[in-house]
Amino acid sequence: MITVTINGKKIALNKPVTILEAARKADIYIPTLCNHPMLEPFGGCRLCLVEIEKMPKLQASCTQYVTDGMTVWTETEKVLEARRAMLEFLLINHPLDCPYCDKAGECDLQDSTMQCGPAIGRFKEGKRKLPECYDDPIIVTNMERCILCSRCVRMCSDVQGAHAITITNRGSKSCVEPFSGGRFDCEYCGNCITVCPVGSLMSRLHKHTYRPWYIEKEIETVCSFCGVGCSFVAQIRGDSIVRVEPRPDLGLNKGLLCVKGRFGFDYTASPSRLKSPLLQKNGDLKQTTWAEALSHTAGKLKEIKEKYGPAAIGAVASGLCTNEDNYTLQRFMRSVVGSNNIDSTTGFFYGPAQRFLEDIFGQGVTLNPMQGIANSDGVFVIGADPSAVAPVLGLQVRAASRKGIPVVTVGHMPGLKRFATCSLVPDAFSEPALLNRLISGLMKKRPVCGENEFFEGAIKKFMLSTGDDIADPCGLSNNDIERAVNELDLMTNPAVLIGRQVVQRSDASVLLLQLSVLTYLLNGRIYLISELPNDQGLVDMGCRPDMLPGGRPVFSDSMRKRYEDSYGSEIPSAQGMSLMEMIQAAHEGNLKALYVMGENLLPDLPDTGYVKEALSKLELLVVQDTLMNETAELAHVVLPACSWPEAEGSYTNFEGRMQHVRKAVHGEAMEGWKIISEVAKIIGSDFGFLTVVDILAELTKVSPIHKGITYAEMDGGKCLWPYNGEPLRDSAKDFALPDITLLKRAKDCGRPYLFADQQLFHSGTIGRNSSALSMLMPASYVKVGNALSEKKSIQAGDVAGIASGIKSAELDVIIDPDLKGMMVLIPNILADKGVMSFMKWNMNPDFKNPALDGNEIEISKLRSKAEEVSA
Amino acid sequence: MKGPLENGTLKSVPECGEKETALMPALYTAQKEHGWMSIEAMEAVAGALDIPKARVKGFATFYDMFGKKPVGRHVVRLCTNVSCILSGSEELLLRLRDKFGIAPDETTPDGRFSLVAMECIGACGTAPAMLVDNDFYEDLTTENIFSILEKYK
Repeated sequence: MITVTINGKKIALNKPVTILEAARKADIYIPTLCNHPMLEPFGGCRLCLVEIEKMPKLQASCTQYVTDGMTVWTETEKVLEARRAMLEFLLINHPLDCPYCDKAGECDLQDSTMQCGPAIGRFKEGKRKLPECYDDPIIVTNMERCILCSRCVRMCSDVQGAHAITITNRGSKSCVEPFSGGRFDCEYCGNCITVCPVGSLMSRLHKHTYRPWYIEKEIETVCSFCGVGCSFVAQIRGDSIVRVEPRPDLGLNKGLLCVKGRFGFDYTASPSRLKSPLLQKNGDLKQTTWAEALSHTAGKLKEIKEKYGPAAIGAVASGLCTNEDNYTLQRFMRSVVGSNNIDSTTGFFYGPAQRFLEDIFGQGVTLNPMQGIANSDGVFVIGADPSAVAPVLGLQVRAASRKGIPVVTVGHMPGLKRFATCSLVPDAFSEPALLNRLISGLMKKRPVCGENEFFEGAIKKFMLSTGDDIADPCGLSNNDIERAVNELDLMTNPAVLIGRQVVQRSDASVLLLQLSVLTYLLNGRIYLISELPNDQGLVDMGCRPDMLPGGRPVFSDSMRKRYEDSYGSEIPSAQGMSLMEMIQAAHEGNLKALYVMGENLLPDLPDTGYVKEALSKLELLVVQDTLMNETAELAHVVLPACSWPEAEGSYTNFEGRMQHVRKAVHGEAMEGWKIISEVAKIIGSDFGFLTVVDILAELTKVSPIHKGITYAEMDGGKCLWPYNGEPLRDSAKDFALPDITLLKRAKDCGRPYLFADQQLFHSGTIGRNSSALSMLMPASYVKVGNALSEKKSIQAGDVAGIASGIKSAELDVIIDPDLKGMMVLIPNILADKGVMSFMKWNMNPDFKNPALDGNEIEISKLRSKAEEVSA
Repeated sequence: MKGPLENGTLKSVPECGEKETALMPALYTAQKEHGWMSIEAMEAVAGALDIPKARVKGFATFYDMFGKKPVGRHVVRLCTNVSCILSGSEELLLRLRDKFGIAPDETTPDGRFSLVAMECIGACGTAPAMLVDNDFYEDLTTENIFSILEKYK
């Protein structure tokens, strides 16, 4: 126990902390500028100087640790004089343009000067003049105001790991600058804006539009972009969000945000926002009343059910919608329609991957707390770059790497390039061979025997199957693989992060089994890199063709009965159709109606032309969405739903944490769950849902894992899987080992292969509707590596023609030297040139999801950029 | 002006244990090869050492002896700190201006010399002193300075 006396007040501490922390604990105010709770102590601004007895000089309280018996004074004349002097120095070059500065009202320098500073300065010399810099589309810099506390630079390098900004020059000429001097060219996380104590780094999006004291209310809510589920405070003025602000003590992101979360929220105010229902009349969508739209939907659904049976109706749920919306849609499909045809794009990766792993390890195996990544002793990443698709999750990997923990990545991961201790980029489609080499290498170092029959069987099978694969270098050197095995051998309880690309291929089950074996050998914890805010919620709410709410298999009679009793209707025991099966059935004319909630199928599903044909054959296509999109244009009925900030609800993130999404602004549309229950009511089934509380109450009654949960519990951030309930104890069916012959990889035939580029600045339809995100990434592109660029003599800036057999288009070329061999990357930014529109697919028989491997394309140079300009 | 970097890369990368340890020697090499710290030179250093570009810029702009703008074939750094000024470096500046027509931070039209007025280079006992590229000269006079500079074409 350490006792320290500050201003005569005795403070008892369990462990040594800095004087500043001790004082804050005892509610003693010490002004600071360079100190920030998210950053390491720095001791640069000298504003927190205090007097310590027996020390001749004043000490910086942010870096000085307390010792037992220390006596500290924070308000002596000597201290106050020092603070005045420091502030007077800081204000020498500060322009004092507070009437014009956006930071006024929430400025640390203003507050400190108000509290302790000199009323007048004695310096008569001219202040340094630097114009405000508007070179960047998002971040505006004003270096006159900068006090060089370096909080932004330390945030950028020590926490974000982007190293995009630095202090250039020195002395009175010092400036905070990105490398290019103007445009930031960074990850645009904006965390530097959060920590800037003055008005030097600010967002251009709301510059000069309001004052901090104009904010009418602040609503704590959860971000709607990726599966991490970051918390922030939405600041509201009138009926719109002016900005979102993360707080160091809020949620799991603890003050951090990414570009999408911080700047992308303006999609909710996009011009393509749907406000009133639309009904197709004579081939055109015409505005209509809610009553007509709902009764048309209900009438048509009823008619189709009577005519073709419930199996002719399908529904698409969405990871962008809340648990409440998804639960209601599931309830509608199972109790009103009487069909298990419900799925979403979560069924392409997250759903089946989780199901597969749960069948092996048990339910909930992928639901681990995010902090576990930075605190583990190793990280293995495959299938997606977490720093692009779930950036705050990526920061955990970076934090782990910064601690000196081995990080092994497999695949092209630009965001982790600098952080991986071993980065393996194998040839296209040779991941199974590589994993086999890692497994056999690891087995030699730490053999397991007699522990688990299942895994030993699997390992044996892999060993037998390898043969010549064991020598296959997969486009890597044997040294690289050796090194990776050594790195893996250092890990005793690592985090294994699995992303989308492992699952959207025909040998997905082999890869997942290999990853399970690897996890077993490493004693690891699995994390699925979820790309939508409610991927996990969809699974938990039963929006899968084979699962009921609470992760219960639909084919189990005893489990199904529980829901049937509660809903008062029969649920078919056969597994329903997955999303791609529904599209196929629609194309073949067996599916007659599709209710699409919150998904934009056309750009997000492979082979746009086929999907379009399929959707056009439907007798009824209902699109319930917040934004007008390509799928809605084909719909017979368009029902406008409340957008993310307009309705109450909850999201469940990738770690199985239910979080409360609060209503922040008023919307003209109807809540998603309400639309569905209104349709059900017209058909003749009243769910009795008046508010989201009723839905949660029903969920807690029927779902065995959601027991007695309330929104109040979610607010505490402690509503973690299995949500007070009972997870499924035994594996539902005997697990069959996948066909290992698939392991013989398709040899790279030297032709370009198409893959999806994982975009940090975009997230499909909603990202496209955000003006800020569109500014950062306005156009689509095609990324090729050095080998391909030489082979086809394509240079950066050229316009290339891409043809995949089902689609051809022109795209600007970006050269990525880290890209291997014949790989070609296109992002899914624009609907008409998105990567999915080029993709052909096969149905993966194990997961019923589209396998996108083997997409060979033609790429050729059409013209160089210069020719285009002159033309 | 000194020539461009070959394909944007350094001809020789100094070898040090840690990447960041090599930063100062690499900047020195880049300056020697390229003459000054252009964006391309800093990018080349960052690329060669795999260090974030912004970090390289922070270092390169902090130190005065890394040039911030294009220079001639030879850089004359004349000390203008207290001891040298007292011993006549101001007079030398005037003579250099008369002979070559350049003031500090300027380059002769033929690209032969760039002139920089330096702070102390640690030769107060033998002031005035100057550096021509990396060669050190002291006890300068209005006579010997020109014969020294004759050696640099």
